[in-house]
Amino acid sequence: MTLATIDWIIIVVYLVGCVAAGIWMRRYVRNVEDFAVAGREMDLNLGVASLAATEVGIVTVMYTAENGFKNGLAGATPGLLGCIMMLLVGLTGFVIVPLRNAGVITIPELFEKRFGKRVRWLAGVVVILGGVLNMGIFLRLGGDFLMYVSGLDPKYTIQVPGTDFQLSMLEAMMTGLLILVLIYTALGGMLSVLITDYLQFLVMGTGIVVTSVLVIWNVGWSNLIHGLWEAHTSGVRLTDTSIPGQTTEITMAHPFNPIRTFGWGWVTWQAMLSIAIVTTWQTTIARVLSARDAKTAKSIYRRTSFYYVGRFGLPGLWGIGAFLYFTSKGGLPEGAGSLTAMPAYLHTILGPGLLGIVIAAMLAAEMSTDSGYLLTWATVIYNDIISPCLRKPMPPWAKLLTVRLLVLAIGAFLVFYGLWYQLPGAAWDYLAVTGNIYMASLFTLLVAALYWPRANSWGAIAAIILGAIGPITFLVVNAIVEKQHQISPETAGWSAFGMAFAGMIFGSLIGNALGKGRTASSAETNKES
Amino acid sequence: MIDQFFIGFWTAMVFGSVAWYSYLLFHVGIKGGRDIVRMIRVLSARSDQAEASAPDRR
Repeated sequence: MTLATIDWIIIVVYLVGCVAAGIWMRRYVRNVEDFAVAGREMDLNLGVASLAATEVGIVTVMYTAENGFKNGLAGATPGLLGCIMMLLVGLTGFVIVPLRNAGVITIPELFEKRFGKRVRWLAGVVVILGGVLNMGIFLRLGGDFLMYVSGLDPKYTIQVPGTDFQLSMLEAMMTGLLILVLIYTALGGMLSVLITDYLQFLVMGTGIVVTSVLVIWNVGWSNLIHGLWEAHTSGVRLTDTSIPGQTTEITMAHPFNPIRTFGWGWVTWQAMLSIAIVTTWQTTIARVLSARDAKTAKSIYRRTSFYYVGRFGLPGLWGIGAFLYFTSKGGLPEGAGSLTAMPAYLHTILGPGLLGIVIAAMLAAEMSTDSGYLLTWATVIYNDIISPCLRKPMPPWAKLLTVRLLVLAIGAFLVFYGLWYQLPGAAWDYLAVTGNIYMASLFTLLVAALYWPRANSWGAIAAIILGAIGPITFLVVNAIVEKQHQISPETAGWSAFGMAFAGMIFGSLIGNALGKGRTASSAETNKES
Repeated sequence: MIDQFFIGFWTAMVFGSVAWYSYLLFHVGIKGGRDIVRMIRVLSARSDQAEASAPDRR
């Protein structure tokens, strides 16, 4: 028996309560604005809870723990950079104040106001390409975590009653999680997401604090520091056998100094990416757009910023614990790897009751993240890809139905893509690069639309197309070639930003010189939008 | 010496994060609950107003 009765009781009570609360909010959904941005009635503290809950999912815990597992405390560097950038944006109001004051639901909607419908549509396509690919591994990592932390056998299969069809334990976990999330997200939209985020924030926060304290107590802080340094200098190796037919040796990089660990190229790329994330990542920006006013939005950012340090640092600590634990045991278990080591480690140190709380906490984290992202991408597809192509607007009931169906369709994609796709490297690098598909161009367009009156729609289109080339090339090439010929993630990332900036500047200058395209400043007097 | 700086820095970050998450749990937990109550009150009032102003919509 892998989980005690008390663990099951905790998990079931939490899941039933959460889904019931989410469904209950359905009664307040009257239109797309209620569905997508909670009728713009979200206040500061609910905004902080919701943002914190959505931005910490099992996938977050898994990749941040993997960073800790491979890079020690230096693995928390992206979180530190995210904190700094979010604080700066919250203090200055850079991008988020004019964006909130523009009164839009999504960022591509702003682009239509400034650059025209074509740019909005193209931006929407690139956002969805990057966003949905990015989300593609969420459910898979969630399923992996749950299996290893609860000690279930990944090879175990379940017969679907009345058919010859068999589901593996991983497929069953993924599908079960998804169904729960789809029920309340499709019905209640952002209102349900906010309520469930709040509950999930409480449970998840408790789980994270308790687990972190337990890991520190279990290992001992000075043992942890010495163990990391010893592992790095002695060159100890752990063998990753998580991919059938393939073994990878894992060593501990310099565990404290991020420049020694990753190099300047990677660290500066992460800094650039962080500012793009906090100003363009749709789930983060959705909280800005749902806030009562711009002042509340800035407050939410300032108060949430330090949370990002813990977002990487605390699960990273669990990954460090896992590294030291399995090193002391002589190696990783068969079939385990850098991603699954942490949940396997937690399974050994958490007792009955505590294991149930942590699993409930991680389910909470997963559900809040999945619901937030499902809603976000469905809203973008409807608002920025479908809606601009319609001759006349849909009636309200049809709009709501369409967004709900989109939520279901994205959910189905998650199951199949997550089971099929094999990560070429670290999970964080995959997520950063797929996000970069659109973030580089969108950040460029957003800053230009809000702050450069001479920005032109030609520049916008050039930025969108050129900004996507580097990351897409990375994904395609690295799936085909041998490891020594692969493109580094920082090369893909910096090329995306560089090409997007260049496209915007030169495209705008050329468009203006030829008298073509539409400028951001002329959009205010142009009645034909 | 620079490694000692980073060790001290990360120690402060980790323990600070544990403290901050603990604080947020209580502070945001209580105030977020009040926000939910207010939000539901506003949304209920809006729904009642919408129904009162369009009685023949169905």
